[in-house]
Amino acid sequence: MRTLVEVVARCDARGRTVLPVVRASGQLAVRRTGSTTVHLVATAFGPLGGDDAEIRLVVEEGARLAVRSVAAAVVLPARGESPPSRQVVRAEVAGVLDLAPEPTVVTARADHRAEVRVQLAEAGELIVTEQVLLGRRGEDPGRWTGTTRVERSGRPLLHTTVGLGPGAPAWLPPVAPRAYVSTVCIGEPRPEVRTGVDAVRLPLPGGWVGTAWAGELHDAVAALASVTEDVELVEVAR
Amino acid sequence: MTAALLALADSRLPAGGHAHSGGIEQAITTGVIGDPVSLAGFLRRRLTTAGAVAAGLAAAACRAVDVADPAAVRPADLLAALDAEADARTPSPAQRAASRQQGRGLVRVASRAWPDPAWASLPAQPHHPLALGVAAATAGLTPRDAAHAAAYLAVSGPATAAQRLLAMDPITVAAVTARLSPEIDRVADDAAAGDLPADTDPLLDLLAEVHAARNDRFFAS
Repeated sequence: MRTLVEVVARCDARGRTVLPVVRASGQLAVRRTGSTTVHLVATAFGPLGGDDAEIRLVVEEGARLAVRSVAAAVVLPARGESPPSRQVVRAEVAGVLDLAPEPTVVTARADHRAEVRVQLAEAGELIVTEQVLLGRRGEDPGRWTGTTRVERSGRPLLHTTVGLGPGAPAWLPPVAPRAYVSTVCIGEPRPEVRTGVDAVRLPLPGGWVGTAWAGELHDAVAALASVTEDVELVEVAR
Repeated sequence: MTAALLALADSRLPAGGHAHSGGIEQAITTGVIGDPVSLAGFLRRRLTTAGAVAAGLAAAACRAVDVADPAAVRPADLLAALDAEADARTPSPAQRAASRQQGRGLVRVASRAWPDPAWASLPAQPHHPLALGVAAATAGLTPRDAAHAAAYLAVSGPATAAQRLLAMDPITVAAVTARLSPEIDRVADDAAAGDLPADTDPLLDLLAEVHAARNDRFFAS
């Protein structure tokens, strides 16, 4: 199943954000839930192995957009030999984008590939949070591969691929976490490095990236907050 | 040409790599590594993340100074773009510093060994894989060779560091490294052939930063 979501946020003549494009097809619907907020709503179980979703976001200069989801995405394997499912977020941001969907839960045998690709204009600002849990309670972990690339004015600021779950080459005992959270923030003064227990915040030009992992999702969220709490992560990581 | 590749990957090449443990010292302190099995696991993590990225960058840097028409595509521009890609894949300041220190060390020895105008195209303190790629090109080696040297160095130096810190049996450590050969070859071949890898191990970032804040360390990284 192919899913496409498109949202455009624009700044009108009075300086307010309007959303001239809000549309979706496939397994996601998109609802306006505030003047600058949309929620993604799953209209089917899944994603299932083989599903392909693309979310295109444009935030024009002076505009703000917050993207949320109403529930965790539970990635399920297809029957038999299950191919990976994919979700790609492509964002062009000259205003402010705040992207914080609910967690992705990757069930046993499922293999999910997530990509976030952001092109920032010079004044663009960004906060993106990802939360991943491998396996439901008492279930074997699934596999998740997440790529994040952020460019500002064509120059790469961050490009990382993290592989989790059985078969991922760097997911090995004794550090093979079931829960992983990451936040990228661009649009703040460059901070110092901070380290915690299974959590680290690293400076980027004009921002930072924070990463944490744990056996349980709420512990990973708390670990991330412990190295980023001075930057108002509370609402995003809730 | 094979002898030049062996020289480039030789731990006795005085490029300063012996001062770096690639996260091994901190991994031992935190208990992630304590025996040959956990060492092999850690080296595999390192190989498939930082090693894959280094291999891809080294191959690309080797290709950059080997362009058919340097007037049309300036090697210096290609290398500057690769240096930015290396930074984007290395958000940890401690790992960036370690990479640039080793890059500078390698330029010092390799530019003397293989004098070539290509060295002038490198940024002032290049990331180590970029210096390695240019060294390979000036030594008459291929991008694939550069990738293999980078992938091998991503585990060989750290393995030696573990041997020294844990007073491990050198034969056991040599066997651990040698048994990784097929995976080193695969990582290097994939990295040289495809898009630039971006594989990251957040554990390595954390270990590098905790290590950099210590004042009782033996290794620079």
